[in-house]
Amino acid sequence: MNQKDLRPQELGKPCEQLIQLNDLMPLSFPYDQPGMEPDFPDVKPEWREKYCTSLDGCAGIDTLQRPKTEAEEIEFVQKFLNGLEKIFSDANNGVLQPLKLSFEYCAKCNTCSDACHIYKASGDNELYRPIFRADVLRKIYNKYFTSGGKLYKKFIGGDIDVNWETIARLGELAYRCNLCRRCAQTCPLGLDNSLFAKEIRKIFSQEMGIAPTPLHDKGTILQLKTGSSTGVGKAAFVDMVEFMEEDIEDRIGRKIKIPIDKKGADILLVHNTGEFVAWPENPAAFAILFEEAGVDWTLSSDMIGYDSVNYGIWYDDAQAKKVALQQMQAAKELGVRRIVIGECGHAHKAAGVVADRFLYGEDKVPVESWLPIMWDLVKNKRLRFDPNKNNFPITLHDPCNMVRQMGIVQPQRDILKNITHQFREMTPHGVDNYCCGGGSGFAIMNSFNFDKFRDKLSARVKFEQILRAFSDTIDDSSIPKYICAPCSNCKGTMRGILKYYDATEKFNVQYGGLVELMVNALVSVDKPYLEFLDE
Amino acid sequence: MILGLSAYVALLLFIGLSARKAIYYGRMPLHGRMELYPVPQEKERHTYGGSYMEEPEWWSKPRQISKASEIKDMLKEMLFIKKLFQNQRSLWWISYLFHLGIYIMIAWTILLVAGAITDLAGISVNSHASVWPALLYYLTIFTGLVGFIITTFGAASLLLRRIFDPILKKYTTPQEYFNLILLVAVLVSGIIVWSPDLTFGTARQITADAITLSIVPNTALLIHLLLWEVMMVYIPISKMGHYVGKYFTFHKILWENEPNVAGSNIENRLKAETRTRPTTKWSAPHMQ
Repeated sequence: MNQKDLRPQELGKPCEQLIQLNDLMPLSFPYDQPGMEPDFPDVKPEWREKYCTSLDGCAGIDTLQRPKTEAEEIEFVQKFLNGLEKIFSDANNGVLQPLKLSFEYCAKCNTCSDACHIYKASGDNELYRPIFRADVLRKIYNKYFTSGGKLYKKFIGGDIDVNWETIARLGELAYRCNLCRRCAQTCPLGLDNSLFAKEIRKIFSQEMGIAPTPLHDKGTILQLKTGSSTGVGKAAFVDMVEFMEEDIEDRIGRKIKIPIDKKGADILLVHNTGEFVAWPENPAAFAILFEEAGVDWTLSSDMIGYDSVNYGIWYDDAQAKKVALQQMQAAKELGVRRIVIGECGHAHKAAGVVADRFLYGEDKVPVESWLPIMWDLVKNKRLRFDPNKNNFPITLHDPCNMVRQMGIVQPQRDILKNITHQFREMTPHGVDNYCCGGGSGFAIMNSFNFDKFRDKLSARVKFEQILRAFSDTIDDSSIPKYICAPCSNCKGTMRGILKYYDATEKFNVQYGGLVELMVNALVSVDKPYLEFLDE
Repeated sequence: MILGLSAYVALLLFIGLSARKAIYYGRMPLHGRMELYPVPQEKERHTYGGSYMEEPEWWSKPRQISKASEIKDMLKEMLFIKKLFQNQRSLWWISYLFHLGIYIMIAWTILLVAGAITDLAGISVNSHASVWPALLYYLTIFTGLVGFIITTFGAASLLLRRIFDPILKKYTTPQEYFNLILLVAVLVSGIIVWSPDLTFGTARQITADAITLSIVPNTALLIHLLLWEVMMVYIPISKMGHYVGKYFTFHKILWENEPNVAGSNIENRLKAETRTRPTTKWSAPHMQ
């Protein structure tokens, strides 16, 4: 079958693999040359046997296993149907209005398709069209939950065969959307197709108990148990901060005492703990900048108070709420005036927007992004920079959660203009940006070959944007080119694609956050802060 | 008389069912925040998609809100279908002709009613009359001709595109074809009924008969009126009633932009709604 002919009714069709990942969107120079891009690895037979790789040859949900008996298959389908009914009940009040509107009014005009980076990267593969997933869900609902005979159900579109394969593939398909909501931005009716991806994930998790391990067992569950999704407990966190102080001294010769658990501080700064583990130069840069500007701030070592992540917002509302409430509790106990979220996009959205309606009154501590505060420090000359220190091309990746979903667009640009003369925008940028391809959990989902799906497909449009932003210097490896990605998940994705395409090694493409660039340009710091500038 | 009455009933049902839908959505529980920027009510900042969250300690400062900007963007969406224009121009041409046609047809209907009332009041609506009846006469012809042509062209083009575009075809249900066929049928039957008199004098006379509940229809008129009545009742209960939904998707979801601060409406709603516990429970082990 021609893959372009695939119809939503055929999601459950018996076959080894519904589509093949070929004919992907071509990349620009130098990745338009033969041999520059690794091929997609073959699916291992044991994966096919045990998991659901029959969608596109990838498996994102490592806890979704094939049934051993017919009874298990029936139970699986029934549980999904139970969950489908519940998303339209009072169990789902927090999203009922937007969901019903998107469910009821989609005109299927297909305006959203061109906005989707995964659909475009796939070479317009039908499976990834934003309305495909939504239409499958609509068909299942119309088949099982609409009164009327067979003929009427067919009339309203309830024409789909539902079996284990249909539901399992739909579950996988929910993890082929980054929840970046770029499609919703273009809808003439204001509808949101990413909602369906999120709701399918929710049914799988909240009703069926099935969610990717990196998000659930090693994500929210671990965070609620140990304090962080990295598994870092309080003692280890305090140790890491001490090591960071030593690193700062080694790097720039400055002795800094990083405040921890300072009662009544103005600001509780909360980072994604992954930063301390993978990119300690980022929280260190925050410490350098805040100390130099004389900010009254603290970190928390309290349970969950030191980890801003909240993977629940990607797949499970209940988990999201539990995590958010504990983070708020940590701030309350410290008696800080405000919570400031560091360079983590989804943490911005989780604490600043999603959790905004979890609590009210005295139970709330105001939440804000680090960007307006930092811009304020720059604007008021509490930090002084020499932009010539960042004398290499720099482009900015806009994290969807901060920009499109919170409207924090300008401060990061104003800061960049003060710390470099070589800033260039990606196209498109700001609220029209493309997701990095790691959004909604993809950045940390590495089961089976899912990381290859991310590197090759979901991050493909972003990689193309990067190539275009640096097209003037891309083949000159003597010039470092810096992708400024002020978000932990986006940085994780950048790390993945630069490695996958060997772009750092071959073309000197570097990545990092914004605060590292700021410290690198500080007048008061003599040595380069960025390691790639070391001789 | 029954036909005249049924037209009134159809019109009232259209209004009533649309209002019922609006009330249904309006009374739904408070949802989580789902804004997408740019949000037009953000004064000045909306030009690049910024929000109040760009301000340090935003909760302690008055928010810069512009209702005028919101209304301006709303009108751009209502009158010009801006999002479709920006994101899918080829479909916009036919969709816009169709929607503009509907607005003009509504104007034509109002002019017919005004003309019929004028006629009933003893003032003849014709080209030689004084300013008001002459204006009614010419505007009725203009809106009738333009309205029928572009609405029919738009609706038929939307139907044909759905039939022949391989992508749209895949996603279109029989019901969605029915919706467009119903619209085309109403328009074509209208053209058959009204086209013999392009001054729409007959249409004005029949409108006057409808007002006085004295319509004596021929077969063509009977079919047209019945189709029109079915359409009027059907629109609000189908997805063609998206004029209701669109208000909520934009103003109450994408552009809501209402933080939960002390003393706000949102806080009051939240307090009230958290008193009620959901009756439905999720079944996964970690939800118990």
